[in-house]
Amino acid sequence: MIAQATVLDDLRAIVGDKHAYLPDDSPTFAVDGMNPKAIVEPRTYEEVGAVMRYASQAGLATIASGGRTKPDIGNLPARYDLALSLSRLDQIIEYEPADLTVTCQAGISVPELQRRLRVHGQKVPLDERPGKQPSAGGMLATNSNGPSRHAFGELRDFTIGMRVVTADGRTTRAGGKVVKNVAGYDLCKLYIGSLGTLGVIVEATFKVMPVARIERTLAFRLRTPGNACSLAADLLRRGLALSYLQLRGWNNGANDSWLLEIGLAGSEGPVARSENELAGMAADFKAEVADGDAPVNAGATDSGESKEARGLLCRFSVLPSRLSAFIGGLQALEPPDMVAEPATGVLRASWPNSAAALTLLERSREIAKSHSAACFVERCPPELKRRIDVFGDPPPAFELMRRVKQQFDPNGILSPGRFVGRL
Amino acid sequence: MKRSTLVRDLKGAIGRHWVLHTPEDLLVYEYDATIDRGLPEVVVLPEDAGGVARAVRIARQHDVPVTARGAGTGLSGGAIPCEGGVVIVTTRMNRILELDPENQIAVVEPGVINLDISRAASPYGLYYAPDPSSQKACSIGGNVAENAGGPHCLRYGSTTNHVLGLEIVTAEGEVVLLGGKTANTPGYDLTGVVVGSEGTLAIVTKVIVRLLYKPEATVTLLAIFDAVTQASRAVSAIIGRGMIPAALEMMDKNTMEAVEPFVHAGYPPDAGAVLLIEVEGLREAAQEQADAVVSICRELNAREIRIGLSQEDRDKLWAGRKGALGALGRLAPSYYILDGVIPRTLLPTVLDGVYEACERFGFRVANVFHAGDGNLHPNVMFDERVPGATQRVLELGEEIMRLCVDAGGSITGEHGVGYEKRNYMSWIFSADDLEVMSRLKAAFGASDAFNPGKIFPTSKGCGEVSSRMRAAIAKVGAGAYV
Repeated sequence: MIAQATVLDDLRAIVGDKHAYLPDDSPTFAVDGMNPKAIVEPRTYEEVGAVMRYASQAGLATIASGGRTKPDIGNLPARYDLALSLSRLDQIIEYEPADLTVTCQAGISVPELQRRLRVHGQKVPLDERPGKQPSAGGMLATNSNGPSRHAFGELRDFTIGMRVVTADGRTTRAGGKVVKNVAGYDLCKLYIGSLGTLGVIVEATFKVMPVARIERTLAFRLRTPGNACSLAADLLRRGLALSYLQLRGWNNGANDSWLLEIGLAGSEGPVARSENELAGMAADFKAEVADGDAPVNAGATDSGESKEARGLLCRFSVLPSRLSAFIGGLQALEPPDMVAEPATGVLRASWPNSAAALTLLERSREIAKSHSAACFVERCPPELKRRIDVFGDPPPAFELMRRVKQQFDPNGILSPGRFVGRL
Repeated sequence: MKRSTLVRDLKGAIGRHWVLHTPEDLLVYEYDATIDRGLPEVVVLPEDAGGVARAVRIARQHDVPVTARGAGTGLSGGAIPCEGGVVIVTTRMNRILELDPENQIAVVEPGVINLDISRAASPYGLYYAPDPSSQKACSIGGNVAENAGGPHCLRYGSTTNHVLGLEIVTAEGEVVLLGGKTANTPGYDLTGVVVGSEGTLAIVTKVIVRLLYKPEATVTLLAIFDAVTQASRAVSAIIGRGMIPAALEMMDKNTMEAVEPFVHAGYPPDAGAVLLIEVEGLREAAQEQADAVVSICRELNAREIRIGLSQEDRDKLWAGRKGALGALGRLAPSYYILDGVIPRTLLPTVLDGVYEACERFGFRVANVFHAGDGNLHPNVMFDERVPGATQRVLELGEEIMRLCVDAGGSITGEHGVGYEKRNYMSWIFSADDLEVMSRLKAAFGASDAFNPGKIFPTSKGCGEVSSRMRAAIAKVGAGAYV
């Protein structure tokens, strides 16, 4: 292994003295409590390429990061030598509002990107959490999204091109910048959600969409998750002007509080009609309007996602028709705080202060299995993480995935160990 | 290579009725909807994934390539066996296995016809959105292989945006499930790379598709313009004002002239272009958008705007568009359908370039295309019997692809690369980009196993290979076939 000082000198030769340094005591670049040997902040794709060529030759396990809003996602890194910060790659490369496409660098913060698009009445349909500054590249690498994916699609649906630096430092392109394109393999799909294990995303082209003239959020209190899911299903069938549906439930002792947030978006006519119909439907499902226009945020996800939390936060993917039964199963176990998307069946459940996290996880995975649902541990105490695969059992196509990883990162230097089956 | 043992082994594995090997049987499988041809050595029609897997293993043991074939309606030669070998036809695998309206999902076999999914889903108020114009004939397996599009992709996206999971047979003959019925299945999105891989990575034996609720209201508008430039401006204005119609199609003068005698759509003989615009959603939304489209088209001097609200009236407005290709077929013995994409703001300039190039080459061209997403389909009319004509048409096609690439676009929006465009791949991708793609292929263990000769640039021509194959077949006894 090369000496830390040599690594630092070599990196400084690539990016300049100011942008390669040793970690201090702050955990800024820590991943699951592990600190890198060095941090490097390239400014150009060529510099990223040079850094990766170097890392590849020196065998340095490299973890790329952007806004670092989800630093601990994935399995424990097998090794961690080099933190590759992309935050200086923060430019918009090309934006032609009339084409409804934008090309930006990976390190740009999503709120900044949204601000620039908003000037032209447009946006990318990403649900970044309020107060967070995730980077575009980070959202791609972690395939982050929220409840509006049902209405406007997921990252895989509106990412049309990428530039990715390979493990051995070549800047490559996938997709393009036009909205319809079937030339070659769609490698964008492969990189999205791959947690930086196949390449370093340095640029992306997105389809953008117009911001609706009217956006409104309504909230209803319901007595049971079953009522809430039925109301949601009925809303979807009617094709109302929905932008998202989100169901929150939290553990206040009785755990009988369910809040269905309904986002409406569109122009005056469709939104007004949707509101009217909604008012009529609410009674059928024993739903009461929650106070105020803004939803009551019970903190169900935020408590689990904050960096200090030591509890367990799991993301389940269930068939929408089984969501309410699945919620029932989790409640019988130990009522969690939860946020669900009734339209997609994605559910985040958090047990903020549970002492018996491993048992809880094992039991909730059994429940998930009985509902053919997937379970991904988004956060858990480090001592638990050492004992589990946060992705659960390897998927049926794991052997193919292992071979993909082997082909794209033969020396195992890209976020080693963090992906499915510790790839 | 012993063809007789290959045939014997396949018969043993699939059943003798479902293995075709006589020259006259094979002829039916040498073409699709493109210009070129390639003759398989053997054709098999398995009835399930197990049969596909057995056929793949046998082909591998005999070291011959495998090419999958659905309905044979493809427009890039995806189903043509460039290097001979075994063609696996999926037409017998045509069952809709599951229809789950509550979760808006259907699980289907690859041989199911695209439109049949929507027919089956219709009683539940659901449908399958991607609608290639061959949707009455094309199979979902072929749609998956080519990532097929269609007029309504503008709003709803292509095949890839509607496929949640796949069952595939790998080059090793293993049956593997990718993705699944729920969102966020763990691991790499292999479904996303197999869709659009043109049959080079795996053979799809099951498809999990997402269904959408049918919109409450649909309004179809037909706007007639004096010139293509005006119509192009209207396209830009509609998109630029933040409207994404369900479909936004253009037909030029040559197309209208071809269509009018057969469809009697009532297109004025001196009109330059028509736009066919469909808006849908809640009644209120469809009405608002229709009003906005009307005012934009008026501002841009549309000379006439027709509006269809009922299914019958809407069908009438679509009739010219849907009958366009058929009508073109009557104007010239052959036509060559091109497929390129450009940023939609560049429509007027690139279209000018297309007309100029066609005139210079001396071919008549009819443009009928998905204007809303910048997906051009120039249809070049020619006579394949005129010596050298096919060659010149291909050269013209190459020049038009250049125009698209120079405008920042792509060499294909929905038909696929196939072999015809594989050498244009290096116009938009570097050697490194292509090398990374070939790594994916290597990961699937499919380097030469599936549909060789497609997508990746090579100096080897499919035509040469197929001529050699024809010679070989002639030797085995197909006297009538040259």
